[in-house]
Amino acid sequence: MENHKPHVLIVDDERGLRLGTKRLLESEGFYAEAAENGTEGIRLAKMNEFDLAIIDLRMPDIDGIQVLKEIRKANPNTVCFIATAYASYDTAIESTKLGAYSYIPKPFTPDELLLQLRKGYEKRLLILEAERLRKEREERLLEIAYEKTRLKTIIDSITEGALVVNKTGELVLYNSSALKYLDLHEIFIGDVILEILPDEITQIIKKFIDSETYIPNSYSTQIELKPNKELVIEATCSPVPHADGSLAGVVTVIRNITESVKVEAIKSQFVSMVAHELKTPIAAVIGFLKIILDNEVNVSPEQQKDFLERSYTRLQNLVVMVNDLLDISRMELKKTQREIKELEISQTVRSIIEFLELELHKKKITVNFHIDSPGTKLKADQNEINRLFTNILSNAVKYNKDNGSIDISISSSGNYIITRISDTGIGMTKEEKSRLFQEFYRVKNDKTRGISGTGLGLSIVKRIVDSYAGKIEVESKSGEGTTFSVYLPLSINKQSGIAS
Amino acid sequence: MSVHEKVKKILLVDDDIDLLEQHTILLKSKGYEIITAENVEDGWNEFKKEKPDAAILDLIMEEHDSGFILCHRIKRDPYGKNIPVFLLTSATYLTGYKFGSSTSEEKEWIKCDAVLNKPIVFEELLKKLEHFFETVA
Repeated sequence: MENHKPHVLIVDDERGLRLGTKRLLESEGFYAEAAENGTEGIRLAKMNEFDLAIIDLRMPDIDGIQVLKEIRKANPNTVCFIATAYASYDTAIESTKLGAYSYIPKPFTPDELLLQLRKGYEKRLLILEAERLRKEREERLLEIAYEKTRLKTIIDSITEGALVVNKTGELVLYNSSALKYLDLHEIFIGDVILEILPDEITQIIKKFIDSETYIPNSYSTQIELKPNKELVIEATCSPVPHADGSLAGVVTVIRNITESVKVEAIKSQFVSMVAHELKTPIAAVIGFLKIILDNEVNVSPEQQKDFLERSYTRLQNLVVMVNDLLDISRMELKKTQREIKELEISQTVRSIIEFLELELHKKKITVNFHIDSPGTKLKADQNEINRLFTNILSNAVKYNKDNGSIDISISSSGNYIITRISDTGIGMTKEEKSRLFQEFYRVKNDKTRGISGTGLGLSIVKRIVDSYAGKIEVESKSGEGTTFSVYLPLSINKQSGIAS
Repeated sequence: MSVHEKVKKILLVDDDIDLLEQHTILLKSKGYEIITAENVEDGWNEFKKEKPDAAILDLIMEEHDSGFILCHRIKRDPYGKNIPVFLLTSATYLTGYKFGSSTSEEKEWIKCDAVLNKPIVFEELLKKLEHFFETVA
């Protein structure tokens, strides 16, 4: 009662008693309001919540029992007393049945009243405390419910599949990724999931469940759920302990590793192709040396010289190939050091043509330039642009016919600077064209028989063009010639790997 | 080979002209008659025309499985099914392409009589050839 004045409502039609009680209570540290009849009492009780109420049983308008009902209805926690001179056992029972805390017989002494009210107020405080605790508990329950939903949302939103089984092998928790990666249509909480899961996972979970002691390790397994690497998963099972350290269940995390498995396969296939391409020239050189060294095989000095020269060519070609491979590997790692500056493609192309002069002369090939937008500059790495056009132009020479020509046109259109290089060479079939940018692919026919190459040149071209967010188009007719169109964007987007 | 025996004719198919020439020289030095081709189509035509006593095919030519394809065609031919066909390859089994002709399953689908790794040990090739000719004779 120290920091809060208990609010008391006095409902009594007897004016003297009403005001006397009010005065008494106020002098004793209560805050009191008085109502002269039942209607007024109900009105006040509806306006404010009182801690305590003293209600006279007999009033001219509404009787006290009715007032009690109304007050209790408005504020169930108000502690109410029924006061009456016409005390009877029955009304006492009835009033307490209706929710009155106690019964005060009239006339009462101030001490009697105060004792009752103080007891009533203690009751009121207990009720309020209980109410507070109840609310708090409700809030906490709500919070737990939220927490559960939040956890469910989190588990559902992870891309990895999660699936928890209890010690008897029943499903306790799962997310939608688990369904997807396990290729299951539907599962339900409580399912004996071990019968449905892939054998490999079941085996591991059983190891945890069947063990007499708690196994603190995690185990992983890779499973090809759909053949031909269409769906490959990695499942990791870990034990979930109870607070006492015994096994509560097993959580299985499922990761879709299909893509990385596919990449691995491509990589290993590439390595295998590289090994093949490296071994072939070595085999040729070993073969020649063996023949030259073999006393049982007769070869003329001219033949010997020819074999040594051919061995030399093949080893030279092998070195070029190794360098190309190293370049590709650097590009893959995006470790290429770039020096981006403004350059003119026409100048680059002209200097490459000068470099190829000897071969052009040998085959009597004429070169024609058509430069529509002179002075158009490109921001790029000079070495890479050199490499790009050297590879295309040297092919245009290598695969051209004698007395043929090479047409080079440079124009800009929209955001691109377009370089077209047309030759009058052997051309390609549709099938050959489609495989042109594949590593190690080389068109093999009578016409390409004597032409050396690594099969990596155009694959490098493609990588360079791609790294500048450009594009390359090829038109070709077998026996007539090939046109490469290289589109390089005038303003380069800073792509990954471009260091300026 | 004794003088009474007919000279054995061997078909070599390889798109690597250096290797083709080397194998030709080596086998000729052992008294064999050699026919060569550089691709599957020519190889098949030579086979039909020349009816060789054995065929030695490179695996990877125009396609990664060119040798398999030609081998398969020869083995389906009424004449070809009785001659030994060897495949040469430098595709190493360590790096993904793993095959041989030792197990019955492999024989079932590869249908060749031996797979030799490049660079080939010529003596091994020779021994295999002679072994076949002896057993057939």
